[in-house]
Amino acid sequence: MSPPPGDLPPFTRFGHGTHCKRCLVGLPGSQVDIDPSKLALAFYCIGSLDLLNQLLDKTKQDDRESWREWIWEQQVCGPYGAGFKPGPYMSSIKEDSTEGNVPQLIVTYTALLTLAILRDDFTRLDRTGIAQLLGVCQREDGSFSTEPYGGDTDLRTVYCAFAIANMLDNWSTINIDQSVEFMRSCRTYEGGYGQFPFCEAQGGTTYCALSALHLSGRGDRISPTERKQTIRWLVQKQDISGGFVGRTNKAADACYCFWCGASLNILGVGTLVDEDALRSFIGSCQHKFGGIAKAPKEHPDPYHTYLSLAALSTQATAARAGPDGNIGHSAANAHVDPSRSTSWELPPLDPLLNATVDTAAWAREHIPKSTNA
Amino acid sequence: MHQQDSSTLVLFSERPEWADVTPLEQYEGVNPLAPIYYSEEYKDATSYFRGIVKAGEMSPRVLELTEAIIRMNPAHYSAWQYRYKTLLELNNPLDDELALMDEIAVKHLKTYQVWHHRRLLVARTREPARELAFLSRSLRADTKNYHTWSYRQWLLAYFNEDTLWERELDFVGDLLEEDLRNNSAWHHRFFVVFQSGVRKGDEDRGAVAQREISFAKQYIAKAPNNASVWNYLRGVLEHSKIPFSELQIFVTPYTLPQRSEDDAPAEVIDLENPLPSKLAQLPCVAAIEFLADVHEAAGGDSIMKATELWKLLADEHDTIRKKYWEYRIREALRTV
Ligand SMILES: [Zn+2]
Repeated sequence: MSPPPGDLPPFTRFGHGTHCKRCLVGLPGSQVDIDPSKLALAFYCIGSLDLLNQLLDKTKQDDRESWREWIWEQQVCGPYGAGFKPGPYMSSIKEDSTEGNVPQLIVTYTALLTLAILRDDFTRLDRTGIAQLLGVCQREDGSFSTEPYGGDTDLRTVYCAFAIANMLDNWSTINIDQSVEFMRSCRTYEGGYGQFPFCEAQGGTTYCALSALHLSGRGDRISPTERKQTIRWLVQKQDISGGFVGRTNKAADACYCFWCGASLNILGVGTLVDEDALRSFIGSCQHKFGGIAKAPKEHPDPYHTYLSLAALSTQATAARAGPDGNIGHSAANAHVDPSRSTSWELPPLDPLLNATVDTAAWAREHIPKSTNA
Repeated sequence: MHQQDSSTLVLFSERPEWADVTPLEQYEGVNPLAPIYYSEEYKDATSYFRGIVKAGEMSPRVLELTEAIIRMNPAHYSAWQYRYKTLLELNNPLDDELALMDEIAVKHLKTYQVWHHRRLLVARTREPARELAFLSRSLRADTKNYHTWSYRQWLLAYFNEDTLWERELDFVGDLLEEDLRNNSAWHHRFFVVFQSGVRKGDEDRGAVAQREISFAKQYIAKAPNNASVWNYLRGVLEHSKIPFSELQIFVTPYTLPQRSEDDAPAEVIDLENPLPSKLAQLPCVAAIEFLADVHEAAGGDSIMKATELWKLLADEHDTIRKKYWEYRIREALRTV
């Protein structure tokens, strides 16, 4: 599975880990826009370290401990149930219940995954509260609002709600079929899915729809004709740069290497991606001081770093899967050299939850358990 | 509602009219994750905002405060939400708010909150016409902005007034005239023609489909290597249940190499099947793909014709999708 020698630039994995660690330490004032999604940023940083297999040797036990504490501090509960808020940007005290300190679905999904990466035992998780929150956020048309009292309702939140229900192993508060109808209404003539009904097909929201359908065991709701059309649209998104575009006739962007590549993987045809071209594109998006940008010569950020790594990891998973599609459980970890290696090898990814196979297994094992000790 | 540059903003802590508010500093926790090193102005404004929210105050000065925060951080979800509540509480004219948003939105076209706020406002004012005008202006600044387009689609579908739809096709036509690779415009055209009900004059759906097929053909003739128009054409055919084979005559010249001057046949102008221009890069991948689909649908012996075309794409004309075209060959042969 290793790339052909020659054309590929070295994969500066050490630098990518450093980029993410640096962001966890602090961000410049110009990035205040991160505040309402701080926990998601933490997921991209910590998730990158997980994919690079650098978490244990690049971070201190004390740090990992305090990160977990910080994440648990964001768990809030109220009449809506429970969930995680993005961060303390509206808090003036530790347990602040004033307006603005409400949970958010996208953030709750990333919080659960981040805690799983940090191998938390989830004894502090308010499971019933979170299940309740999913029910409160579901709208009549099957979509979910980002927050209990409002916010956007679109395909991204459907995905996050379904991923949370999948990890909790509790679908009792959700009307799955209504959401499936909503997702179908977002499908377009091109074969992809748009963010809202009637909107243009886009790679990220196509991933959300396909993944949500499979997370809920509704993959068969995509007819063979639709599947064929979607595969066509997805492979068409890889352009001559080797990267993927998010929409027809747009420029390649590293994050779509994951959204489109993982979508193909979910449809069982992950190997249709031109892997060498994809690696060469991501290679060209690497920043000289670490981190991966959306395109060559752009500034790197944790979001594009994580999704590029996840894209590479997805490809490794597709290639490693046998003809029956089964993935050998974390077989790759043994080969990964966590040090200053420039190897392109990464551990396999669970394409539905968007986490390493090991982290996804941890999440599914520890999140549903009842706390009665 | 005066405009202020955040760099010249007088701190709220230095304004006598804010002296009665207790500012509340942000709680960070012991070892904060990814703390942001806020500017003095931002720290000041958000501390006063936390104070206001805690006290539950909804007054005109809250609008001033939230505007200052939004200008520094348009992604500040809570500031938007509290601002909206305050506007309703004060019964403020929402038209004024929209006018202010016109200016803020153009600066922050890529921020979700800007558009969400707008939807909430317009769902109340119920005056979508002024919005279309604003959107046309803002699409000119960024012709493929996803938020702008989805807002336009929401607006049309939500209010669904005949007068709103009237100029949509012309609007899309103009945008395609400027950039025939603008997929957002192609998508919008499909939405307007096929997904939003039947408008006066368009009752004959067969004729509408033929009109759109001709429209796509003209654009393919102008520039054949344009995935947007091919996807549109396929979409129209599939939606109208017209077999691809009906376009075989049109598509074939696009699957062949460019004719040299000498062997070009005396051209009979066939308006229904416009030929590629002499400058077009041929053969065209999308045309070969289309023709292969025609053969595959025909089944039987034609499958072999399809596999030959796919091989041509895999080995010569579209090598980045080599694995895909080989997959198509395998899939087609599997079902024979
Ligand atoms: Zn991106």
